[in-house]
Amino acid sequence: MAQEREIQQTLCRMCDDRCGIDVHLEDGRIIDILGNKDHLWNRGRLCVKARAAVDMVYHPDRILTPLKRTGGGWQEIALEQALDEIAARLAEIGGRHGPRSIAVWKGEAIGFGQQEDLARRFIHALGSPNYLSNDSMCYASRYLGFTLVDGGWPVPDLENSRCIVLWGANPPFAHPNMTQYITAARRRGATLIVVDPRLSAIARRADIHADLRPGTDGALAWGLVHQIVEMGAYDKDFVARHTVGFPRVLEYARAFTPEAVEKETGVPATTVRAIARAMAGAAPHVAAYVGNGLEHHENGVNNIRAVAMLDGLLGALDREGGTFFRGAPPLRELTLYDDVPLTHLGPLGADRFPVLYDKRRECHTMTAMEAILHDDPYPLRAMIVTGANPAATNPNSTKVLEALESLDLLVVRDLFMSETAAVADYVLPAASFLERTELHAHAKHQIVSLTRKVVSWPGVQGEYDFWHDLAWRLGIGDSFPWDDETALNRWLLEPTGLSLEELAAHPEGVEYGSARPGGWREHGFETPSGKVEFTSEYLKDLGFDELPVYLSPAYVDEPDQEYPFVLITGARKLLYLHSRFRNIPRFLTAIPGPEVEMHPSDAVALGVKDGDEVRVVSRVGSVRIPVKVMSPSEIPPGTLQITHGWKDANVNLITHDDRFDPISGFPLMKSVEVRVEKGTRGPDALGGVA
Amino acid sequence: MRIVVVDPDSCVACRNCEYACAYRQNGDFARSASHIRVNFYPEERACVPLTCMHCAKAGCLEVCPAAAISRDPETGAVEVDETRCAGCKMCLLACPYGNVHFDKVASVSRKCDLCGGDPMCVRSCTAGALQFVEADEAVDRRREAVDARLRRILHLDKAEK
Repeated sequence: MAQEREIQQTLCRMCDDRCGIDVHLEDGRIIDILGNKDHLWNRGRLCVKARAAVDMVYHPDRILTPLKRTGGGWQEIALEQALDEIAARLAEIGGRHGPRSIAVWKGEAIGFGQQEDLARRFIHALGSPNYLSNDSMCYASRYLGFTLVDGGWPVPDLENSRCIVLWGANPPFAHPNMTQYITAARRRGATLIVVDPRLSAIARRADIHADLRPGTDGALAWGLVHQIVEMGAYDKDFVARHTVGFPRVLEYARAFTPEAVEKETGVPATTVRAIARAMAGAAPHVAAYVGNGLEHHENGVNNIRAVAMLDGLLGALDREGGTFFRGAPPLRELTLYDDVPLTHLGPLGADRFPVLYDKRRECHTMTAMEAILHDDPYPLRAMIVTGANPAATNPNSTKVLEALESLDLLVVRDLFMSETAAVADYVLPAASFLERTELHAHAKHQIVSLTRKVVSWPGVQGEYDFWHDLAWRLGIGDSFPWDDETALNRWLLEPTGLSLEELAAHPEGVEYGSARPGGWREHGFETPSGKVEFTSEYLKDLGFDELPVYLSPAYVDEPDQEYPFVLITGARKLLYLHSRFRNIPRFLTAIPGPEVEMHPSDAVALGVKDGDEVRVVSRVGSVRIPVKVMSPSEIPPGTLQITHGWKDANVNLITHDDRFDPISGFPLMKSVEVRVEKGTRGPDALGGVA
Repeated sequence: MRIVVVDPDSCVACRNCEYACAYRQNGDFARSASHIRVNFYPEERACVPLTCMHCAKAGCLEVCPAAAISRDPETGAVEVDETRCAGCKMCLLACPYGNVHFDKVASVSRKCDLCGGDPMCVRSCTAGALQFVEADEAVDRRREAVDARLRRILHLDKAEK
């Protein structure tokens, strides 16, 4: 019999970039995945992660049957039975401690579209305000930093830029196809400036690489403000018409001379001047992008706000070739924040980090651990985790595991037995991105797409079906009235005037609007004042400084002799996304294991060589890990880097869950004071392996 | 005929191309099997992608005593027929760029065959440093890149003053 071959077009969700893909099938089985040449974002190009989705979908370790923890270990259980039992336990716990003792936690492992909002909808319908997610450790600080200044997070117009400035961002590994836009701009003469302590992949192509000390980005940004003002190179018209707080900026920037910036950041004064001139010379066509590198610091949001100010100062904001705002498609709202406001129930962390909850409706995951372990501020007893692995990705893993294990009920939906699933009461099989149909938008290109359910497994539920079935068992079914995900998609799409059929016929996406710069200048920025806020009344009212003030990282300000190294964690690697894909054998042939990146002079001083195992110790804990001796230009002396997500050398055993950015509540994970110990075989070497 | 053109000034040595090629050859990401090779020199920050140019006058093809190397009439790719290859390694020596390598297990020479006309290295190059284009187009792109480099140098030169 002839084999039946076909190609189905959809979007990749191995990372957040949503590249267009051609899924090649033979007799209904996926055999390969290639880039869709008609897709505006990736134009046929695709990183190798996407092709390896085949390995993920058909991985022998996929969880395809619901599991229940019993005294004798895992026991397979029928889905309906599992949902009945989970619903009964939730009802009982909610009855005893109140609905707010139940939380949901959304992660990235399944690759969500609007399904994030389903989790928010479910927990609110249940009467609990406690929605937790990975966003409170990645993304939200940048969103807050830019939104506090500009009223939104503008998208860089890379292709029309004359000068691209990347702050703590490494697109080749974090957003692979963004790289082709950057190199294309360079081929047209644009200058690339990369601010990063390490010589990242993109820094290899930088015209100027500022390898500053981790967490000192704010000092460099203020130094650039100082220089641009000194040079008279700021956009006087834009500043006069569209900003508030400029006089205070002038006054505060005065201290940030190139020499002072050199002293604080380690970036030579001549380089500070050169960056300012390159930006001023290209203004207003300066496109800046900030990555996750700036988020995990105690002064993170203010550092990001200081960087954001530069766009307004140069008149590069809301401008072609600079950065400008792109709206999302006008889909229906799935969340219930307006219908069922639950702020009075004290969303976890909202009192201590009001900005995070106010602007993102995110609860604070580190505060959730306190609630579980110490009933502080109230008991949190049950959690439904979908596609998240906090046991590996949240700081202070030892405490996270202790907390998760002490819950009365932990339900985890995932593709694999993650570190988090391993301590659950119930593990439910989840559907990968190739097994669901949902709506996705590319705001940059103003296109909306419908992903396709390419394959399926018997008994494996999609996200919608799961929340729907659980909701109906708990008496909140009226919040989930749609029969299936297609009915839901149709409802969501209605206000756009587009039909599902139209989207299905155009897997490369359908345009929903047009993004042109200039609208915000004309109609006002979406801040309280309608202007770009160099100073924020909103923050002042909450007790913060109105200016994005700069504070030295603790390791610079008060060096700790016992912990002389500064550790960056979480630098991206091409083949892995957070704690995912470590179980794909072909990835391991390329990047086989964890390592601590180290400058050669530090390796010499410590007497270690490439591959030697060391113990990296912080005040939180320790981790055993092999050394990777870098080239001198790749990492500064005294600085180390460990990528997160490795089960056998989990760096979050040593990151802090009690030192936060005061505005966003983000934990300190990228400037951790540590020491390195050689010789790990002794009795004191315990505790390194999760 | 279309060729794989490399632009070192756009390459970030991410190794997507090597992994994609290795996958096609071997089913895994072991770089040793890749026909395209990217060398990265951190101190110079130089990324050098190199792959077969399918020379019009191909040394490997001319020198092969077993007539195992031929040109595909459709794609123009210079290809090794491993069933004919005697493993004498003359082609390795004949290629001035080191773009033919030797598979010790199978005892045959291996090289780029343009994946039958849709090279996977290019499809996986998210940096846009590899292009699969006609020679004329490649020249235009190169000229633009040289111009851009000059413009950038002038811009930076102004910035340094």
